This record gives sequence, C-alpha cells and structure tokens, in this order.
Amino acid sequence: MDNTLFGLADKQWIWIATVVFASTFVLGTYSAIKLHRRTGRPYVLALVTFGWILQTIGLYARGLQYGGCPLSNQFELVQFMVWSAIAIYIFVGPSFRVSLLGVFTSGFACLFSILSMVFEHWDNPSREPIFGDSPWIETHAALALFSYGVFGVLTLTSVMYLLQSRSLKQKKVVGGLFPFLPSLVELVSINGRLLAMGFIILTVSLGIGYSYFIEDLSSVLTVKLASTVAVWLAYGIILFLRFKLILSSKKFAWVCVIVFIAALLSLAAVDREPETETPSPQASILNSSTGDS
Amino acid sequence: MSRENDSFIVLSINHEVAPLDVRERYSVDDSKANDLYALLHNTGGVSESLVLNTCNRFELYTKLEKDANIECVVAILAEFYGEPSDKVLEHLHLRSGREAVQHLIEVSAGLRSQITGEAEIFGQVKSAYAESQNRGYAGKLINRVFQKGFQAAKLIRNSTTVGEGQINIANVAVDLASKIFGDLKSAAVLSLGTGEIGEKTVKALRSRGAKDFGIASRSQERAEEVASKWGGAPHVLADLQSYLPQYDIVIASVGTDGAVITHDLVKKCAARRRGRPLFLIDLGLPRNIEQSCDAFDNVFLYNLDDLASIAEENIAQRKEAVIESTNIAANKAQHIWEAIAKRGLL
Repeated sequence: MDNTLFGLADKQWIWIATVVFASTFVLGTYSAIKLHRRTGRPYVLALVTFGWILQTIGLYARGLQYGGCPLSNQFELVQFMVWSAIAIYIFVGPSFRVSLLGVFTSGFACLFSILSMVFEHWDNPSREPIFGDSPWIETHAALALFSYGVFGVLTLTSVMYLLQSRSLKQKKVVGGLFPFLPSLVELVSINGRLLAMGFIILTVSLGIGYSYFIEDLSSVLTVKLASTVAVWLAYGIILFLRFKLILSSKKFAWVCVIVFIAALLSLAAVDREPETETPSPQASILNSSTGDS
Repeated sequence: MSRENDSFIVLSINHEVAPLDVRERYSVDDSKANDLYALLHNTGGVSESLVLNTCNRFELYTKLEKDANIECVVAILAEFYGEPSDKVLEHLHLRSGREAVQHLIEVSAGLRSQITGEAEIFGQVKSAYAESQNRGYAGKLINRVFQKGFQAAKLIRNSTTVGEGQINIANVAVDLASKIFGDLKSAAVLSLGTGEIGEKTVKALRSRGAKDFGIASRSQERAEEVASKWGGAPHVLADLQSYLPQYDIVIASVGTDGAVITHDLVKKCAARRRGRPLFLIDLGLPRNIEQSCDAFDNVFLYNLDDLASIAEENIAQRKEAVIESTNIAANKAQHIWEAIAKRGLL
C-alpha cells in the first residue's frame, strides 16, 4: 500500500512530520515552563509549517493510489484531520495572535499522528475506489474532515480558556503557562469564530452528502448517519446556546472539549463497513466519505 | 590590576553602600552635573566621562588619561563636593575594567536596583549616556561600552524573568485585568471610593489603555469633584445596582462596615452583562465585596491579600533570576572588554 515520493514512502514522510511536531511541542513547552521564555511565534509557525509540508507530501503520496484525497480508513481520516487542524493554525491562526497556539497545535498533531500509526489496524487496506467518478463526494468527505480539524483547534483554544480561567480563579498566576496564555475575552471571541467556521463547513459538507444520500437511501449505514447527524446537531446546539448566551464561557469550553472527544469516537463507529452485504459502488463511496462526518 | 583595567573606571554611591542621607548629599541635578563635567575635563586626567544620577545612585564613569589614576578622579570629586578625599572614598563603590563594564550591565538591567528588575533604570542610563554624548564627553570607549552594555542588558531582560511580573499592588491588578480582558481599551472601570489606592489603580489602568471610567462616592458632590480630577463619570454609591452592570472592572476601596457588593447584587447584574467577565478588586479594609461573589464562573475576585501575595511571588521570582542574569552580565562584560582591548580603545 506504500507509495514512494522523493525516495521515501508515504508513512515515512508522515513519521518525519510527526517528529517535527513533537520537537516543536517539546521545545515550546520547555521554553515556556522551564526557561520562562516566550517561544517566538514566527519560529513556531516556521517549524509547524515545515512539519505540515512533510505531512502533505506523505498524504499526497498516499493519495496517488486513489487519485484523490486519502480518506479510506481510520489512519487516513485521522491524518487528514490533523493536517486540517495544522492548516487552520498556519493560515488562520496568525490572525488570532495567540501565543502558545502553535505549541498546543503541534502537541495535538503529534498525539493523534502517533495514535494513528501505533494502532496498525487503523490502516487496513482501503475500499478502493473510494470516490468513484464524483468529485463532489470527495469534496464532501474532505470538507467534513476539514471541519473536524477546525473543531480540533477549537478544542485546543477551549483547553487554553479553561487553563487560564482556572489559574485566575485559583489565583495561581505566577509562573507556569499563565504568562503566555491569551486573555479570556480574546479566547472567547476566537472560540466563537472557530465554532461558527467549523459548523458552516460541516453543514456544507453534509448538504453535499445529503444530495447523494436521497438518491439511494440504503447507501449509508444507519449508525453512520446517526453519528454524523448527532455531531452536526451537537455543534449546532452549542452554537445556538452560545449565541443566546445561555452557556457561560466556561461551560461552553467544557462542552466543546467533550463534544470533540465524542466526535472523534464516532469516527470509529462510522468507519465500519456492512458485514453481511457487499455494498454497491455508490454505497461504498458514501460509506467511505461519511466515515469522517 | 593592569594598567589597561585602570583606564576605565566607575565610581558609584548607591543604596547598596550608602544610606539615604549620604546619597542625598552626593546627588546632583542637571546644573551640578554640568559643573562636574566641566571640572572633570578642565582639571585634566579624564578624557571621557558620564554622570548617572538617579534617586538611588550617583555614578561616574570615566576613561582616564595615560598618566592619571583613580586617586585623581577621587580628588576631583572631593573638590567638587568640598569634602576630604578619604571621606568621599568611604562611601564609594569602585570598579575598573571588565568589572566596571559588568557593573554597568547589571545596573542597566535593573539587577542592582532597590526593587530588583525595575525597568525605569534602563531609560535613566540611556538618558545619561545621551547627555554625555550631547555635551561631547563620551568618546570611543564610553560609546562602545555603553552601546554594547545596553545590548547585554536587553538580552538579560528578554531572556530571564528578572523583569517579569508586577511588584506593586496597583500594577498587579492591572496585569490581571489584561489577562481577563486583553486590550483594556474596551474595558469599563468603576472605582468605588475616592481614596489614594483607588486613585493609583485608576491611573495604572488608564496608563495601560483603559478609557471608560466611573467614580462612585457616597455623595454626589464628592463623586463629581473626584471624577473631574481623575476623569470619568460620577456616580452615587447608593445607586450602585443601576450602573454596576455597565462596568467590567470594579475597584472597591470604601470605608464601610458591611459589604458594598453582595452575592445577590452580582447575581442580578450578571444577566445584564451578556456573559462578559467581571473583575472585582477589593482594596477595602474591612472588605467591601462578599467572598461568595467569586463563586460565579465569570467573576474574578481579588482582595488586598491576594494581590500582595502575587506581588511577593513576583519579587521572589525576580530574585531567583538574579544569579542567572549576573552570569550573563559577567560573560558579556568579559566579551565586551576583550573586544575593546583588541580594537585598541584603551
């Protein structure tokens, strides 16, 4: 299943990218906690971007065999989600001007990347061809995974909010990560924007998926459909509650963390294939593509 | 001590070696500094000089001419102050060569300040250097030593925690406010009470960007009087419930027996705040704000003890950083001094 590009197999590129993410995380954390120094944003951004380019090469090499996005098994789904989260940090993150976000994102990328490689069965042979002839199915799958990346970054900024809030409540404001965390009001604003962005992307993705689903209702397993709609609904409800100011900022942050964990767990559930029946080509397409959503 | 080392010296009278009355005696204003510069360069023996005068130190950095020595400079100082040389020497802290460079770096970085790590001294040393340059008393050696010394001091301040964390209560409160609200321009501040500590905190918040202020007092007259002085909208304390929701930061320092801000009051005002955090700073004795107000998710309550404890932790953290900073200063001083010798500036 390995594909080689520039002399290295796809997984080798991804391993190297993971090492870069891990190094960035260790360096940034050590710098902040032990040396009490702010790791420069350009420095972290450069390292994370370097890791992201390596990961992109790995995923591109992997995608060559499908002629599209590599989204055919859990390993690829997680890798694509990590790739999306890093992309959000690189292209949108600087506008947030949040110190430590790069360090947190690299830690997130490193953790999930390692998990996806440690569990070898996540990288089972794919159900090829995964997208058939329709570029819209591929768009649907890629967008859905991209929204997970956005929700991943939202989870990180929510964790930052909870850490900052806890430090201020407990009056432990000297040393540690406190001097480097952004203000509560900034984090609340960022969280709101990320949630809206992720929800819109997921909605568009599901809209595209729905137009195919109604043509063949049996093409998507009930468990996948239920999980997908549950994740979408959960984020929709959070957005509504936040908009109506029913959730406090702290509860909002907690709910974002919990829903993201649930969404990740749902990835395993929705990636299952029917055991007793051989799916039609279109069902196969939808099963693969909704595995992420 | 080598002849090269003797050519650059610093004579310092500071809080580490001299009590306040002595420092007062040796302190110089602009006009006196001008006289001292004139005396130093008219008498001979000194080719470059720089006078640094702050509330805690008088320092004279000089490059001596080849046939001069430290005693010459002490004699000039004795003449200037009208005291015998041995009396002047009694309070002088003398350093030469590399040690003088290290002293300059340590002073500029705030390592030798009475309040460790304070940043104001850096600006004062820079002003003194600019003054010496403008008067034409800074030559190649002083230029080199001070420019490189400033770089080293900046390195220390940027790479250690010696200047981190606020150490007075008003500034600690302002730092906390910026950790809650970020840019203070959009945060509205209410001062309950018109005492000195409230005024200091209001000033500190204003200096960090806060623009919208309210001043509350028991009487409308007093509120108006102080509001016109400090800047802000006057309020009467009795109407607190009506205007409290408009404010994000509340500084309470009212002389009172009971709490001015109660749990119920905060609960009522929370609904009108649309989820914005509320930072309550209780500077009153007895306390002005019920401790239970801290139970709300979006309310952050700090009293005098909390703020003082943070200031103490910051001071302790700064002191811990002094050893690391002194090592950096020593290494940089060695490097600067070697480079100066190589360039033949001595």
